[in-house]
Amino acid sequence: MTAYRVTHRTRYRYAEEVAASYGLAHLLPRDTPGQVCRSARLDVVPTPDLVRERTDFFGNRALHFSLHEPHVELAVTATSVVEVTGTAPDLRVLAQRPWEDVRDTVRAGTDAALLDARTFVLDSPLVRSSARLRDWGATSFRPGRPVVEAVVDLCGRIHHDFTFEPGATDVSTTAEELLDDGRGVCQDFAHLMVGCLRSLGLPARYVSGYLETRPPPGEPRLQGSDVSHAWASIHLPVVGWFDLDPTNDLVVGDQHITTAWGRDYADVTPLKGVIFTDGTTEELAVEVDVVRAAVT
Amino acid sequence: MTTTSTSLLTGYRPRLGVHDEMVTHDGVVREHWRDVTGALELLGPRDLAQRQHEIARQLADDGVSYHVHGRPDSSTRWQLDALPLVVESEEWTRIESGVIQRSELLDLVLADLYGPRDLLQRGLLPPEVVFGHPGFLRAVDGVAVPGPATLVTLAVDLVRDADGGVVVLADRAQSPSGAGYALQNRLVLSRVFPSLYRSLQVHRLAPFFRSLRAALQAAAPAGVDEPRIVILSPGPANETAFEHALLASTLGYSLVEGGDLVAQHGRVWLRTLDQLAPVDVILRRVDAAWCDPLELRGDSQLGVPGLVEAIREGTLAVVNPLGSGVVENPALHAFLPRLATALLGQDLRLPSVRTVWCGESDGLREVTARLDDLVLKPIARGGGPASIVGGNLTAAERSALLARISAHPHRWVGQEYVEVGAVPTFVGGELVPRRSVLRTFAVAREGSFTVMPGGLTRVASDDEPLVANQAGAHSKDTWVLASEPESVAAYWLRPGRSEPVSPTGTMSARAAENLFWLGRYAERAEGLVRLLRVVEERRTDLSSAATADPAGALTLRTLLRTLGQVTGMATLGWDDQPTMLPDDTIRRLMADRSTPGTLAHDLHRLDEAAKVVRDQLSVDTWTVLTALERELDEAPRQRGLADDLLSRGRLGRILTSLLALQGLAAESMIRDPGWRFMDAGRRLERALHVVTLLRTVALDDHGTAADSLLYESVLTASESIVTYRRRYRSRAQLATMLDLLLLDPTNPRSVAHQLDRLTVDLQALPGHPGTGRASAAERPVLDAVTALRLADTARLADLATPDGADRDGAVPSELESLLNTLQQRLRAASDTVGAAHFHHRKPQRGVAIGGVDGSMAEWDGEAT
Repeated sequence: MTAYRVTHRTRYRYAEEVAASYGLAHLLPRDTPGQVCRSARLDVVPTPDLVRERTDFFGNRALHFSLHEPHVELAVTATSVVEVTGTAPDLRVLAQRPWEDVRDTVRAGTDAALLDARTFVLDSPLVRSSARLRDWGATSFRPGRPVVEAVVDLCGRIHHDFTFEPGATDVSTTAEELLDDGRGVCQDFAHLMVGCLRSLGLPARYVSGYLETRPPPGEPRLQGSDVSHAWASIHLPVVGWFDLDPTNDLVVGDQHITTAWGRDYADVTPLKGVIFTDGTTEELAVEVDVVRAAVT
Repeated sequence: MTTTSTSLLTGYRPRLGVHDEMVTHDGVVREHWRDVTGALELLGPRDLAQRQHEIARQLADDGVSYHVHGRPDSSTRWQLDALPLVVESEEWTRIESGVIQRSELLDLVLADLYGPRDLLQRGLLPPEVVFGHPGFLRAVDGVAVPGPATLVTLAVDLVRDADGGVVVLADRAQSPSGAGYALQNRLVLSRVFPSLYRSLQVHRLAPFFRSLRAALQAAAPAGVDEPRIVILSPGPANETAFEHALLASTLGYSLVEGGDLVAQHGRVWLRTLDQLAPVDVILRRVDAAWCDPLELRGDSQLGVPGLVEAIREGTLAVVNPLGSGVVENPALHAFLPRLATALLGQDLRLPSVRTVWCGESDGLREVTARLDDLVLKPIARGGGPASIVGGNLTAAERSALLARISAHPHRWVGQEYVEVGAVPTFVGGELVPRRSVLRTFAVAREGSFTVMPGGLTRVASDDEPLVANQAGAHSKDTWVLASEPESVAAYWLRPGRSEPVSPTGTMSARAAENLFWLGRYAERAEGLVRLLRVVEERRTDLSSAATADPAGALTLRTLLRTLGQVTGMATLGWDDQPTMLPDDTIRRLMADRSTPGTLAHDLHRLDEAAKVVRDQLSVDTWTVLTALERELDEAPRQRGLADDLLSRGRLGRILTSLLALQGLAAESMIRDPGWRFMDAGRRLERALHVVTLLRTVALDDHGTAADSLLYESVLTASESIVTYRRRYRSRAQLATMLDLLLLDPTNPRSVAHQLDRLTVDLQALPGHPGTGRASAAERPVLDAVTALRLADTARLADLATPDGADRDGAVPSELESLLNTLQQRLRAASDTVGAAHFHHRKPQRGVAIGGVDGSMAEWDGEAT
């Protein structure tokens, strides 16, 4: 088991005074089969008039806040301590089960878990299944191939075929655009993986969280050098959800801290807001620190 | 008369193989239509055409419009056929009971889908039907809906099949429209056929709207006894904006837009003139996805950020609840019979048109095999055609459609083609069968639902096999015959809790601002019309003599310069031919709505402002505004001489309409703050206009002859010439003119009078500091009053005359100083009223942060 302290700071500076600001945050980690969130808090400056936490449709922790004090700066800081066991699901029960079998089982599923899984085959705001994504994914999902082998292969191909390049894309970039351009960030890779799986009829979701980065040997860890992260997950009957990180070609283990999951980025945007102002946002600074903490 | 009369009916040819509402397939008029056909025989085609014309006129007078979808600029007049659809009592009872059952069923389904979702667990409904439909909103999952019903209103579209059976074509649960148009149709048709309507014992519609009021009251959060209820509209450009305003005035609620509301401390508030007033219930005419840019569509400018959170807090009820659109999914039709059995233990009383859902393999198989016999529909509206007739497709289109369907089968349904029944419709002087859809309306009441006895019948505009969705502009009234006379008294005196009066002070700041500008533009237009009339008169009087008489030419030139000042139009070139206004100037004045200063612009802005506050104005206002619009519409079409646009007749008609508006304002409006704003706008504008006239005419010496003509012109343009002549019995002179137009408080056209009225208006506005103290807007007015009181007519006139030796051009005369002061103070007063009362929300922007590299997206109103 590994314990982490995660600090995620977001600071906005506005060109003109903001009269009112409304925010929706998916910044506090949820509990999952592989992690327990020991403590978590969200600090907003200036102090909001209203802060409400709720559990959203997907079981994530969602925070609503609003403030009406005129301001030119807004700082939102999420701090949490999370214990990660990183227990990957036991894949042996699936053994050599062909992926088509999984697809058909899900499609005909009537128990609670599969009814839920079926909804993750459907399109979502940012991920639309298509023949093109299906064909791209089919290289990994050859007829009869065992599902685990196929999905690990898909994850590896995304890692190898695309270039990680911050700034190459934005939140509205589609999986198809990534196929054309070849460059993107973790969110794009996660969307592509989710899109390929869904286009093949398999249930997939988007996971938002953090990844512990380790400095090169002998060098100190730089503060604020971490970033928020995203990966994909596929639902396998009996086994449950199986997380893979296409950005790093990893099966998700004890270095990944899950914040929230949903159909795609739009469901779990870490922080979004609506503001009333005559100007624009002049500066946005995000700092993330993931450090090991003592297990309590 | 009888010779022509029978031709209406004898000439009627029902369509073969199509059920006809009026006649049986043997050609016999159905029993319940006989009173109507009897009346038709008496009328004959010519009289019926006259009634049809009268209907069109009344609809135009009431300003009934329907914007064509996707063309927000186009305002289409609502079309109402002279013949109602007649439904007999017994059949209506069956329809009513079917609609009630369907409402109860969909209410239970909706409550389940956002609650326990037993229907999914029990396998009664596939998850794709729910989660694959854009109407399902995850943001409001599990949020309790206050009040006894989850679904408060429902519209059900009904058609007849070839055998005359009634089948459901579609359910509308998002924010059903049409009930207001049904009411409007009834108002007009009952006025046009008063005796027929009375003799037939037609069910009245008013009780339905009373039920709607009661349902909205009942929908309020627990513990709220006198809920503040508002109607949320996307704004006057919306296709059914007319109806939003009609509902607001019929129900007595404030008509608001997203910008009028603000979420604070877990509540939604209405920005009224002087405070934030809590809102308890919103009857929304904005689709749910657009209601909260924070939690739903981020690109929406029609909603209120924080609205969803207020619903979660339990302080706000929205009707229909957000997310209700999910039960519009036509795929539900395939499951309703078994849902009715499971949830109600009943058979479905009104069948839906037979529907197969492609999300099930059997359904997909059937659709593939029988495509030619079916009508294909996507499960969600928006983008693409709403329905595709399989039999009309070419082989290529067919396979393209099948490919689309098999890519996303759960998004499609196939429906049996219905040979939709027809109803006689008066077209081109004769009766022809037109296919029709009847939209019925249900509203929750006391644990069940009540149905409007009638509805909105829409007819196909031509020989179409289906009634297109956008055919909404062709309609009929629907007459449900009562089996026994209705007692009006019994209805109004129904025992039980008396309905609370809606709280006062709910006028939005936006409504107040529009009333202010309504006043200003009405007055501005009036001032301009009067000036144009004077200019035209002088041109007629002087044109022959103009070249010969220098005083006449100077008078005209000066008046044209005044016109240039008032309209802000360049006067370059006007001087060359002082008897003529350039043609293009006239055309712009009368037809160019987009250039400020033109009459067309003033009238257009007047109309726009009126539309925003439609619910505040009397119905007669629309008769007047329609008449103005007619003049405006004709101007660009007018061929021939541009001069004719300025004909005395046309200007007279426009002036008459503007005066009628004044009369309505004076005699038909309650003196509430809204009226005060309108009157303040009018007073400010009139005072400014007089000052502008005097500045261009009175500051210079044009010689006695020209001055006298000019003063007379200004007095005429200021509607004061009759008083002047009666009082002074002399040629117009500067001192006496100034006395009458500036200082005399008894002259309703004088600046002094406007300032008095303005002061009274400003003191009556909310937030006034109280007797003896001046509000910010009052201060500049007080300055102006003081300047006027200190003025001395003789000195004003003296200094302005050439004999006054002081005038050297550099130092302004006393008159010029006074006029400058007045103008400046009046403008300051206008600005201060705006700053103090008209809230201008800062632009709304959305902010989101990207996942990994902190990339940021920002949008303001653009679709993302």
